[in-house]
Amino acid sequence: MREISLHILDIVQNSVVAKATEIEVDICEDKKLDKLTVVIRDNGCGMSEEFLKKVIDPFATKRTTRKVGLGIPLLKMAAENTGGSLEIQSKEGEGTVVTAVFGLSHIDRQPLGDMAGTMLGLFTAYEDIRFLYKHKVNEKEFFVDTKEIRNVLGDVPFQAPEVYLWLSDFLKEGEEELNQMEV
Amino acid sequence: MTVSEIAKKLNLAYYAGENLSGKNAKGCYIGDLLSLAMSRVMADNVWITIQTNINVVAVASLAEASCVIVADGCVPDDTTIEKAKEQGIILLGGEISAFDAAVALSEMGI
Repeated sequence: MREISLHILDIVQNSVVAKATEIEVDICEDKKLDKLTVVIRDNGCGMSEEFLKKVIDPFATKRTTRKVGLGIPLLKMAAENTGGSLEIQSKEGEGTVVTAVFGLSHIDRQPLGDMAGTMLGLFTAYEDIRFLYKHKVNEKEFFVDTKEIRNVLGDVPFQAPEVYLWLSDFLKEGEEELNQMEV
Repeated sequence: MTVSEIAKKLNLAYYAGENLSGKNAKGCYIGDLLSLAMSRVMADNVWITIQTNINVVAVASLAEASCVIVADGCVPDDTTIEKAKEQGIILLGGEISAFDAAVALSEMGI
């Protein structure tokens, strides 16, 4: 995958398949530590210890349509290629935490990609799931909790055109502000 | 064109799958971004890459590649070689660059 946002989308899809009702996406870019950390935390069905051990093996998948699952292995490879690492904690019935650490300034680190578009897609595709999205760039932070938006909107769906456009602008502006050069 | 003829012509060593070298090969893809290779390597293709980890075997298996050539003298991990043997994937390698390999394959009419 050419951008980290595509990896994030892929891992969040795993959480959706695991029937999570709450998914946290936490991105932290830290210039001082020279690290980009992505944490995806869900309250889905989790994995058994046995499956957790095998999950980085591309030939271990719960998918039945084909014998190969590459989501986690490719993320691990992308992280390790930048001097980083991948860690997964999971408990059956409680949920899963995937943590990927990248070397921020490493030449092989892919760009983060379009996080505003990625989160917009997730918010609107899975309206029943509560998403907590946090993106930190050094000292600046952008945070969205879809439950807060849901409380204001009541029964109006995220996919309603006015809401969709507002959400799209809100996410884009939030991301842009993070990336404005610090003085 | 068989994998065996390719290996001979390009002076490649077998890391795995020598017993399967009678297999036919047609067409070629060169690339190291595995997620892209997943969609671009066609069945029976020769796939040239410098990636060496186990995910290569997964992609080759998924795409039904005829064989994988690990170029530029890169050496696959032991786990990769083991998995390739287990999955029946032909894994070749040598000092040849991807460009030189592609030129030679083209001359052979692949």
